[in-house]
Amino acid sequence: MKLNIVKYRFLFLAISAILLLPGIVAMIYSTITYPTHTPMKVGIDYTGGTTLQYGVKETISNDKLSDVRKTLENGGIENPYLQIININAQDGKDLKAILSIRTKFIAEGSSDQDKITNIMNKEFSSPELVQVASVGPTLGMELFKNSLIALSLALLGIVAYLTFRFQFDYALAAILGLVHDALFVCGVFSILGLLYDVQIDALFVSALLTVIGFSVHDTIVVFDRVRENLKYYSKKMTFSEIMNASINQTLARSINTSLTTLITLFALYLFGGVTTKDFVLAMIIGIAVGTYSSIFFCATLVDIWEDKKVSAKAAAV
Amino acid sequence: MKNKLILFWAIVLIVIASIVTICVKPTKLGLDLVGGSRLVLEAQTTNTIAQITPDMMSSLQFAIENRVNKLGVSETVVQRSGDRRLVIEIPDVSDLNQAKAYLGETAELDFRKPVMKDGLQEWEATGLTGKDLSRANLSTNSQNGQWVVDLEFNGEGTKKFADLTKQLVGQPMAIFFNGELQSAPVIREAITGGRAQISGGDSGFVYEEAKKMVDLLNAGALPVPAKIIEENTVGPTLGADSIAKSKVAGAIGLGFVMLFMAVYYRAPGLIADIALVIYGLMLFALFKAIPITLTLAGIAGFILSIGMAVDANILIFERTKEELRAGRTLFTAINSGFDRAFTSIFDSNMTTIITCIILYFCGTSIVKGFALTLAVGVIVSMFSAITITKNFMHLIFGTGKLQHPALFGLRANEINESYQASETKREKAKFGILD
Repeated sequence: MKLNIVKYRFLFLAISAILLLPGIVAMIYSTITYPTHTPMKVGIDYTGGTTLQYGVKETISNDKLSDVRKTLENGGIENPYLQIININAQDGKDLKAILSIRTKFIAEGSSDQDKITNIMNKEFSSPELVQVASVGPTLGMELFKNSLIALSLALLGIVAYLTFRFQFDYALAAILGLVHDALFVCGVFSILGLLYDVQIDALFVSALLTVIGFSVHDTIVVFDRVRENLKYYSKKMTFSEIMNASINQTLARSINTSLTTLITLFALYLFGGVTTKDFVLAMIIGIAVGTYSSIFFCATLVDIWEDKKVSAKAAAV
Repeated sequence: MKNKLILFWAIVLIVIASIVTICVKPTKLGLDLVGGSRLVLEAQTTNTIAQITPDMMSSLQFAIENRVNKLGVSETVVQRSGDRRLVIEIPDVSDLNQAKAYLGETAELDFRKPVMKDGLQEWEATGLTGKDLSRANLSTNSQNGQWVVDLEFNGEGTKKFADLTKQLVGQPMAIFFNGELQSAPVIREAITGGRAQISGGDSGFVYEEAKKMVDLLNAGALPVPAKIIEENTVGPTLGADSIAKSKVAGAIGLGFVMLFMAVYYRAPGLIADIALVIYGLMLFALFKAIPITLTLAGIAGFILSIGMAVDANILIFERTKEELRAGRTLFTAINSGFDRAFTSIFDSNMTTIITCIILYFCGTSIVKGFALTLAVGVIVSMFSAITITKNFMHLIFGTGKLQHPALFGLRANEINESYQASETKREKAKFGILD
C-alpha cells in the first residue's frame, strides 16, 4: 500500500481548512457574545468563583434543575449556575448524579455555602457535598495569565528545539502543525461550550500542551525520516518523492502510536474518574487531529515550500 | 553475549527492587483521591503593612501551622508558595467551614485605657498586646462558675502590665479581642504578678467561645491579615470513587495496548509487553520511592504515559520490519531498527519533556502533578523501550534459532533475500535500507 499524499497536497490543505473553520467561527462568535469575551466558555479557574458539587442518590431531571435554581435565587444566591454530571453507577452504588452549583466567589466567613447546603438538604434526600472548588477573583486573572505564559513558552521552547535539531522551515511547519491542532481542539471546545456548556479550566491548558507535545512528536518522526532519506537519495529522487516515501515509511508507526495512546485515553474517558472527563476528551480530539496534521498537513507544507524554492532557483537561472 | 546476560540480571534485579518497593512503601495519594482540603492563604497588605516581608511570612506560617495542628487532624501540610502565599493541606476535616474561619482569623488581643474625648469616654491603645503573653489557659471563675480565660504574661509583658495597672488604679481597663470589647474590669490595685483574667462580661463566655480564644492566643496572632484565595475540597466518597475508576481505566488501557502490540507485532510485541509491565512496575516504584504524590490528574498522566511508552517500541519494530523486508539479516535488522529509531525517539520525547517542564513551573498544583508524572513516565519509558526491549530481543533472537518471519508478523514472500541470524557485527547494521 502506498499513499500518494504529495499529489493531493492542496486537497489536504483544504480538508484542514474545513476542519478548522467551524471552530474558528464558534470562537469568534463566543468572543463577541460571552460576557468574559473569551473564545471558549471559561470555568472558575479563570474567572474566579466557587463551585459546590453535591452527590445525590437520584437522577435529576431538567425540571428539577430549574426548580432548584429558582429556590437558590430566592434564597439570595446571585446567578447560580447549575449543571448535572451523571455518574455511570457501576454496581448500583449510592451516588447517581452530581449536581454542580457555580456561584460568585464565596469568601471565608460568608454564609452562602451554608445557605446552599440548607437548600440542597431540603430539595434532595441526604445530598453529600463531594467537592468544593473556590478561586478568588484576582487569582483567576493570575491563573489565566500564567496559562497564556505557559502556552507561549511551550511554543518558544519547541521552536527553539526544532530549529536546533532541524532547519528553520521544518520547525516552522511543525509549529504551524501544532497551531493547527491547538486551534482545532479549542474550536471543538468552543462549540461544545456553546452547545453543552462545557467550560475550560486549568487542566484544559495541560491537555492542550500535551497535545502540542504529542503532535510535534509525530511530526518529528516524519521529518527525521525525511532528513535521513535526503542523505541517501537527494540526487536520485525529487524532494516530493522523498517526502512521499518518508510519509509512507512512517505511516504505520504514526497510526499505531496514536492508536495505543488513544486506547489508553478512551479507557480513561469511559471508565476513569468523572472530574477528568473533559481533560481526557481534549486530549483524544487533539491526538487524533495531531496524527492527521503531522501526516497530511505539516509534510505537505514543507513540500510546497521546497517546490517554491526549486522553481525560484529555476527562474533565477 | 556475556554483557547481555549481565544486563539481563541487572534488569531482573531492578524488577525485584521495584516489586519490593511497591509492597513496602505506602503510596502517597493526593487530597483529591483520599478526600480533604487544599487551601491557599494569601497575606494581605494593609494601610500599616505596605509590604509583605519574608520574616512576616515565616511568622505567618508558624502561626498557621500552630492553628492547623490545633485542628487535631494528622498529616496536615503548611507550605510557602511564592512571596505571599501559604498552601495548607488538611485531609478530611469534619467541619471545614469552621476550620476556614478559624485559619484566617486574626487574634489581636490588646489592652486599652480610657480617655475622655469631647465628653465621651473612648479607649486608647496602650501598647500592651497579645505579643506580651507567654500563654493563655481556659478555666472557670470560682465564684459564679463561668468560663474565663487566664492570661500569663512574659517578662516584658509582666512589667508593662504592672505599669499600666498602677497607672489605672480606680479606673477601668478594657480588653479587646479582634477589635471587640471583651470586658473592662475596674483596676483596684497594681497587678505585679504577671497574671490577668478575661471574663466574658456580664453574660460570661460560652465554652466554645472561650476555648477558641485560648487556642488563638496560644497559637499566636497572625502578623499580617490573610485571606483564603483558593480552595479545593474533595469528599472521601468522590475520592474513593476516583481511585476505583482509575484502577479500572488503567487496567483496561494497559490490557488493550498489550493485546494490540502482541497481535500486530507478534514476538517483538510480546517482548514489548513484558517491557511495558516492567515499565509500569518501575514507574510505580519510583513514584513511591521519591515520593511523588499521586493525584487524579497525575494518574491520568501515568496511564497516558503507558500509551506513549510503547511508541518507542513501535518505532523500533516498524523499522526492524522494514529492514527485514529489505533483506537484512535478523540480527542486523534488529540492531539497525534500534539505531535508526533512536534519533526520532530522542527528539520526540524531548519535546514532551520541554512541555512538561514548562507546565511544572507555570501550572497550578493539579497541573504540576500531571506534568511531573508524565515527565518521569517519558524518561523511564525511554529506558524501558530501548534498554530492556533491546536486551530481551538480543537474548531471544541472538541465538539464531528463532527466525521465522511470522514471528515478526511478516509473510515469507515479503522478504527479499536472506533471513538468517548470521550477521552479528554492529557496524554492518548501520547501512541504509534503500541503498
